[in-house]
Amino acid sequence: MNIAMLGQPNCGKSTIFNAVAGYKSLSSNFPGTTVQSTRSKIKLRGKVHTLVDFPGSYSLSSFYETDLAIRNHLFSGNYDVIINVIDASQLAQGLLLTLELMDLNIPIVISLNMMDEAARKGIAIDTDELADSLGIPVVPTIASKNSGVRELFMRLDNVVKHQKHLARKRLLCQNDIEQTIDQLTELIQEKNFATAIVSPRFIAIKLLENDEQTVRMVSEQNEDGLLKKAQQLQQQCAKARGKPAETVIALERNALAMDIFHRVSKIGHKNKDWREKVDDVIMHRFWGYVFLALILTGFFYFIFGVGAFLEEPLLQQFTRLESYLGQLLGVKSAIFAIVKGALYGISGGIAIVLPYLIPFLLVMTILEDIGYLPRVAYLMDSFMHRIGLHGTAILPAILGYGCSVPAVMATRILPSKRDKIIAAVIATLVPCSARSIVIFGLVGRYLGAGAALFIYVLNIFIIALTGKVLSTMMPEVSPGMILEIPKYQLPTLQAVVKKIWFRVREFIIIAWPLLILGSIILGMAEFWGWDQILNTIFSPLSWLLGLPKDVSTTLIFGILRKELSLIMLMQAMGTSEVLSVMTPVQVMTFTIFITFYIPCMATIAVLIKELGNRWTMIIIGITLVLAITLALLTRLGAGFIL
Amino acid sequence: MTNLINIKENNKVKIKSIVGGRGVQQKLAQLGIGVDSIVVVQRSAPFAGALMLECNGRSVVVGRGIAFKIMVEEIS
Repeated sequence: MNIAMLGQPNCGKSTIFNAVAGYKSLSSNFPGTTVQSTRSKIKLRGKVHTLVDFPGSYSLSSFYETDLAIRNHLFSGNYDVIINVIDASQLAQGLLLTLELMDLNIPIVISLNMMDEAARKGIAIDTDELADSLGIPVVPTIASKNSGVRELFMRLDNVVKHQKHLARKRLLCQNDIEQTIDQLTELIQEKNFATAIVSPRFIAIKLLENDEQTVRMVSEQNEDGLLKKAQQLQQQCAKARGKPAETVIALERNALAMDIFHRVSKIGHKNKDWREKVDDVIMHRFWGYVFLALILTGFFYFIFGVGAFLEEPLLQQFTRLESYLGQLLGVKSAIFAIVKGALYGISGGIAIVLPYLIPFLLVMTILEDIGYLPRVAYLMDSFMHRIGLHGTAILPAILGYGCSVPAVMATRILPSKRDKIIAAVIATLVPCSARSIVIFGLVGRYLGAGAALFIYVLNIFIIALTGKVLSTMMPEVSPGMILEIPKYQLPTLQAVVKKIWFRVREFIIIAWPLLILGSIILGMAEFWGWDQILNTIFSPLSWLLGLPKDVSTTLIFGILRKELSLIMLMQAMGTSEVLSVMTPVQVMTFTIFITFYIPCMATIAVLIKELGNRWTMIIIGITLVLAITLALLTRLGAGFIL
Repeated sequence: MTNLINIKENNKVKIKSIVGGRGVQQKLAQLGIGVDSIVVVQRSAPFAGALMLECNGRSVVVGRGIAFKIMVEEIS
């Protein structure tokens, strides 16, 4: 069967998914990070089923792009059962989504998650009473401790087998509103709008709420009579309650949720929360920023420290291996050219990429899982306003330090297209871990930590400037930031390791073979002199930037994967002792160009999907112009400093 | 009655109205904040920054622009 997992953001859905599906999905403590649904096969009582983890949503409305996408996905996906995950410490809010789901014709099982959080707040919930009130099975779980998850899935199997959902209660609003809904429901039943999942009642309620997509669908079917009746009933509601119909329905739902909540829970003494004290520092008007700066610099030096410490000795081993093989196979032979290429690719991965990548991922994952990132949005909101965006736009930028692909996808959390475009540009300009590896491995290693730090700081200035220019050119006013701040969670070792492994695995399976292959190709190209053709074509560029001619091919490979440009550089220069063939100024110019120019293929693909062809071309243009300009300025100006 | 933006830290208020487009009202409603909600202003960021509110055990931050659109009444 097909199982859909739905729930509000931060309720622990992804944690449950991880527990049964293995390492294939990512969970984060920032609303909006899971932007795509993730699916996995699971085995239950010997049978194989498909489990799909949906992004979190507060409702099934069509106003927000993400909510609508979730709704459409749910309706078209042939699901047999829904697992509705609810944060027990936010039961009343969680029930709002549940009430909407209950209007659909599909069995539901509730996972009442984070029972430990609720307990900490002094909330005791009678799960049997809750199950009774809803007519839906409720399984208490604490996903982070893997408690109750097995029971949840066993229950699921039961529910589908015995069609128990038919015993579900139909929860009613107050009489007058309920009658209005009934009237419209009857009319809809006569038409053929309902599908296997979407009940006439659901459609009726959505029409009364003025739901955009539902209204559009009905008018496309030329059912203007129905729309008129809906409007008439809306006015009826408004007259009865003195508020527009959609507000009335929202209030009814709220009241229902609150009512159930109060009936099934007892609120006792709240335990003292150390987390508030932590927030007193982290979100302090002054110390909060000090802490932020400290954290960022601290992590920078941590990553740099570990990486540099490992890079040197590892590279030395490979240099030894290279000369040994050279003697063995003959330095001028074709075989050696190929082997050398492969060797550079392999050594690049082990000695250059991994020593920086793993500490980097460790830092990012911990920050994400602890719940620090939304607090950063809070701290940075006013500064983001200076470049015409809101605090939430900082998330894509922060994710961009890891990889541009999820960063661009994260722009979905921004409400307006204009914000999305600017945030996507910023996310692309931020140096991803691949580029960071070039910065650390090249500038950091040969010119010192200070020079590397300088590039990051310069990058931030350029981004701020670009953002400011873009937002002045697109002066639309976008709605302000409204963001939930999740509670601090201690990241579990298991989750952190899984996430890091998942991302490293992506490098090992996709990028590394490409690195090795690309390196071999370049080696062969060099051996037979083909690369000179490419280099000649691009020689105006390398001439302009004052770089050695052989560098041009590496820049082309860089569009495929950015790490490639570093490895290719050493391959092209014929040595890993870069300073023997390039001056410090050239190293700086090269790195700055790499940092800013065209996003990698994967990012381009995602940009096209999110923003369309036109904007992607514009972004590619912007990055190219910026890269050339800055590299040129570096060439001219750096001579003085270096 | 005044805008939420004028409320100092650690004060409890009741929301009287929200002057806003549908998006703002809906988003706030999804987080459990609406007319008649009781909200505590927990902290505010400097340089005309965001406000952190607590409502029904949930912490939510809103930008100044949004806070300006929420009309509230102080509760002692």
